[in-house]
Amino acid sequence: MDKAATGLPDGAEDISTGGFNRFAGPFYRLPDEGADENRVRRFAFVVLEKHMNGSGSVHGGLLMTFADIAMSRTSRLASGAKSCSTVALNCDFVGPGRLGDLIGIRVRVSRQTRTLVFLTAEISCGERVLMNAQGLWRIA
Amino acid sequence: MSGAPDGFGEIALIDPFEIHVGPAWTKGEKGARAYAFRVQEHHCNMRGVVHGGMLMTLADMTLGQAVWDATDNAPSVTLNMQTQFLKSAKEGDLIEVVPELTRRTRGFVFMRGDFTVAGEIVMTVQSVWKLLKE
Repeated sequence: MDKAATGLPDGAEDISTGGFNRFAGPFYRLPDEGADENRVRRFAFVVLEKHMNGSGSVHGGLLMTFADIAMSRTSRLASGAKSCSTVALNCDFVGPGRLGDLIGIRVRVSRQTRTLVFLTAEISCGERVLMNAQGLWRIA
Repeated sequence: MSGAPDGFGEIALIDPFEIHVGPAWTKGEKGARAYAFRVQEHHCNMRGVVHGGMLMTLADMTLGQAVWDATDNAPSVTLNMQTQFLKSAKEGDLIEVVPELTRRTRGFVFMRGDFTVAGEIVMTVQSVWKLLKE
């Protein structure tokens, strides 16, 4: 995909290296904002025809997939663990995404213990919020 | 690997993303249908375990089918979904669910489902659906 044509910023790194990530993707990591406890991890993707539902919106399953990928990656980055698995995820669908939208997610760590990472995330397209998510990851 | 299990027929999926990840199968009568899905390699992550996003997509797909059944195909959208991942599933596993209607009001449908592999729960889901005015 031509990154410039999609509006993806410089520094966007394709993280869809294989498996379901690549099958559902591509998904990109963007540079972090802030540092330490205020750090926000950012990811993005561009809505393709395969991501849609029959009503002309982005499929909820794809938005939850994007959240799971971004929040799992954040759990690994924050903990330094090789792998983390999703224990629980709660998603509110706030508004629809459309074909061609550049959709982003901002992920924050609420708390981290020796074995768990608690996360919150917001998916949006520009100023428009599409989904709020809150979840719990186990450090494997 | 992608053949329908005994007694199941393929769901005629409409949503492009569901067609992309499918197929999925169903059997039984309206309001008490069972759904089944076979995990293939492209549904898994790099550790050979089915991706959480795939499981949540399956949940949205099958509970959505049950919402259609409960509302005579009224248009609706997912408002909230709560998912708990209890156990991993892997390539070749057959994931099954019989969605349960918890409550239906004029504006909302409350659904739940336990997703099982060989009788063991791998994921449990509750979702709230908003009925759209036609």
